[in-house]
Amino acid sequence: MNTLLKMDRIILLGLASLALFGIFTLYAAVHHGDITIWQKQNLFWLFGMLVFLTVCFIPLRMIGLVTWPVYLVALLFLLLVPMIGDVQMGAQRWLNLGIVYLQPSELMKWTLIILLAHWFASREPSSLINFSVAVAVTIIPAILILMQPDLGTALVLLLATSAMLLASGIRWRWIFSALAASPICLYLLWNNMHNYQKKRVLSFLDPQSDPLGAGYHVIQSGIAIGSGGIFGKGFLEGTQARLHFLPEQHTDFIFAVLAEEGGLIAVLLLLILYGILISRILFISARAHTRFGSLLCVGIASVFMLYIFINIGMVSGMLPVVGVPLPFISYGGSALVTMLAALGIVMRVAIESKDKIPWQRPGSPFS
Amino acid sequence: MLKQLDIRQRFEGRMIVFQVTMAILLLLLFGRLIDLQLYEHEGLLLQANKNRINIVPLLPTRGIITDRNGAGLALNHISYKVQMIPERVEDMDGALLNLKRLLHWNDRQLANIRKRITHARSDRPVLLADKLRWDHVAPISARLHHLSGIDVIAGTHRHYPYADLTSHLIGYLSLAGPNDLKRGYLRTENVGRSGLEKAYESILHGKPGSQQEETDAKGRRVAVLNQIPPETGADIQLSIDVGLQQVASDALGNRTGAVVVMDIHSGELLTLLSKPGFNTNHFITGLEHEKWQSWLNDPRKPLLNRTTQAAYPPASTLKIVTALAGLRHRLPLANGATQCPGYLELADRKLRCWKRKGHKHVTLHKSLVQSCDVYFYQLGDQLGMQRLTEEASLWGFGEQTGITLTPEARGSLPADEQRLYNGRTRPWYRGETMITAIGQGSSTVTPLQMARFAAAIANGGKILQPKLKANAEPVVLHTVDVEMKHLQKVRKAMRDVIAKPKGTAYWVLNWAPWKVAGKTGTAQVIAMAQDDEDEDIKNKKVPVLDRHKDHAWFMGYAPFDDPKVAFAVFVEHGGHGGSDAAPVAAAMIRYLADQEAAQKVKAKRLKVSQP
Repeated sequence: MNTLLKMDRIILLGLASLALFGIFTLYAAVHHGDITIWQKQNLFWLFGMLVFLTVCFIPLRMIGLVTWPVYLVALLFLLLVPMIGDVQMGAQRWLNLGIVYLQPSELMKWTLIILLAHWFASREPSSLINFSVAVAVTIIPAILILMQPDLGTALVLLLATSAMLLASGIRWRWIFSALAASPICLYLLWNNMHNYQKKRVLSFLDPQSDPLGAGYHVIQSGIAIGSGGIFGKGFLEGTQARLHFLPEQHTDFIFAVLAEEGGLIAVLLLLILYGILISRILFISARAHTRFGSLLCVGIASVFMLYIFINIGMVSGMLPVVGVPLPFISYGGSALVTMLAALGIVMRVAIESKDKIPWQRPGSPFS
Repeated sequence: MLKQLDIRQRFEGRMIVFQVTMAILLLLLFGRLIDLQLYEHEGLLLQANKNRINIVPLLPTRGIITDRNGAGLALNHISYKVQMIPERVEDMDGALLNLKRLLHWNDRQLANIRKRITHARSDRPVLLADKLRWDHVAPISARLHHLSGIDVIAGTHRHYPYADLTSHLIGYLSLAGPNDLKRGYLRTENVGRSGLEKAYESILHGKPGSQQEETDAKGRRVAVLNQIPPETGADIQLSIDVGLQQVASDALGNRTGAVVVMDIHSGELLTLLSKPGFNTNHFITGLEHEKWQSWLNDPRKPLLNRTTQAAYPPASTLKIVTALAGLRHRLPLANGATQCPGYLELADRKLRCWKRKGHKHVTLHKSLVQSCDVYFYQLGDQLGMQRLTEEASLWGFGEQTGITLTPEARGSLPADEQRLYNGRTRPWYRGETMITAIGQGSSTVTPLQMARFAAAIANGGKILQPKLKANAEPVVLHTVDVEMKHLQKVRKAMRDVIAKPKGTAYWVLNWAPWKVAGKTGTAQVIAMAQDDEDEDIKNKKVPVLDRHKDHAWFMGYAPFDDPKVAFAVFVEHGGHGGSDAAPVAAAMIRYLADQEAAQKVKAKRLKVSQP
């Protein structure tokens, strides 16, 4: 009970508001079609909340202990994908484990965040060796994911890990030199790809080659968002979504439904909610009792931020189409449950750091 | 090296960077949304309300299938369909009554359509009627501006001119199901479900295109903006001669059976007929459930392709294999003779010859010509099951022929020296080997395997892959290592089945325009008259049920001196090979000879007209 009392109220409130937002928006997106999608997502919410609460009770030390084994298993899965994975939407991403379909790239992303946090928790960030190991454990899975090819996940993975490297205290110039080296790496990678892999990457970068697909979605979602105006067309009153101009309206393009029916007001509210959630995670990070906790929070906050930015950017036509969900709003069981689990870790950091001094402040165990 | 406190300081500094970055990113998004929802709002709202861009798939035209002479077996007919998008209909009852009058629906049809509309999604097109001619839809087209939400769409539908005759060969299509959607088909596309429509789906189908259409608020097309035309599927010309197939079908009448005719050099199939057939044109619109059920429950199994999917006991036609095995292993009996008293005694059993009085003095030649059972009981007994089975599998039995039609039965051969019995293996009984030697045991073959066997005898032992496409490269799967003088012996015996008055097919085929070589077969369905007590049945005192009647086989090739085609005729519960199956072959030989004669005349005329 003590643990539950120590939970961070602002995170809880933010999560509850986002849950309401998500449930109403998904209802609007599917109410005239397959309503079972909405019912399923509600079950996912229940299950996800259970997972969230369970994670709140797992000590961070335990999480730290299993990082390396889990990382190696995730790496093994990634290596298995080209051999026995299923091809969906032109890319091999899914692994059939008998009971569940697993997307090893998703698993790898979260594992890597925990691994890097653990790596730098007790290590000197300016040491070249520590830095090189961190880069190596990131680059290997990133290349494997790029070869699938799953550019979206690879991008999120690389950006989130660079944010963590940054937070761990490595020098700016290393970050910049790594960024400068990336075009060369990409060039080498491209030359080593098979033709079919190149083809997949090209069709990803040029959605116009598939007029029934991605390019079309963006035009239509732009119309949906814009026609919503300031006050929106009203709950369940959207016409764009209703007429099926938005084929993926309940997953990656759900934001368009919200913007059309709720208008700028709802959109602003959602962005504020996201802002509160993320800055609260960063706040917990700054107040964390251990460096491990701090770095975990930074990693998780960056993934959320990247998801939000890439998804809304894509739906509103600022960015190319990348298959990335809108946190807590998009339909999808595994994405929702993983994000709730991640938020559970943040909550655990908050619980463990409650009424304690942040690390390396005078009086903290590290100083 | 950094001091610990420096790390903390650096960390806190970078947290500020993160907070600022987050704020900037969220503001960027907000700015973009203000741009869309405030400044572009009016224009986009106009687009959303008035003119929408709709992307409509354009379905490809399926490739057509023709026979070797260009006769169409699967064609596309232009037709019209009527669709409705329920939520765009202003007055549903009025619209339906209007349509009822225009399309001459009865009340039951109207009720069905009402049900279909209530069960469908209100924002998606619902099919109301299809396969309509222009004169049917013209009055609707003229009134379309009164009928909001209703549209007339031109397209094609598949037509099979020969329907039942080619049903198993050509197969049929149906609308894409959930599994096809996963493979990238559109909901409105048709996919090949059986026969060649399925086997050559990837060639025939073509590739859908798309069209960007500007539509008004009621969803009606205002303008076409951008078009990617669909790619038409490729046409396929078959080696089948539909005329020959028709002749075979007429000769079979309404009996159940299968006929295969194969070019002995190329493996091309000229006929692949299974009867009874079913009218594949019923599949085009999504077949009525009752029709499908009636086909499924029909005891004559019209949906079964008897040429490739069913295997039957080969009966006496397998004696050719036994004879070849005897010759290969140089058994004295194969070149000698024995006595046939009409039966063979084995312990306390009597294995009978079909001829009660017996054939007296029999050699291999005479036994094949007159189909003596006793001779082959003895030959088989001396060979043993192992060598018999080996010979049969050499000639392509017990394995799939590799024809493009799937699924294909492989038939069965008695396994080895041993057999599984009550969970243990035990050697074959002699009696089992003996009846296997006359094709009556546990071995079964498909009519297609049988035709290929006949072709291999005619072409010197080449086991061919059956081909359905015209001018396909012949594929010799393997060549049987057989001595020419042995083969010649068997061929002469097969010729005398027709040429000698005592041969089992003499009366039917001796006067055919081509010299034919062949072998009859009569497969017992139940052990009838094997024991003496059943004498009553043999004497026809007890009526014979149709499903207890024997299967009839006739296989062979023609012309004898310069073979061109090999054939296998199978009549299920047909009676006797000679009297019931051979006439089908006779009809086909007459047709083929006529065709050849006509071609010669044509060639001569051509020569005369081009001096």
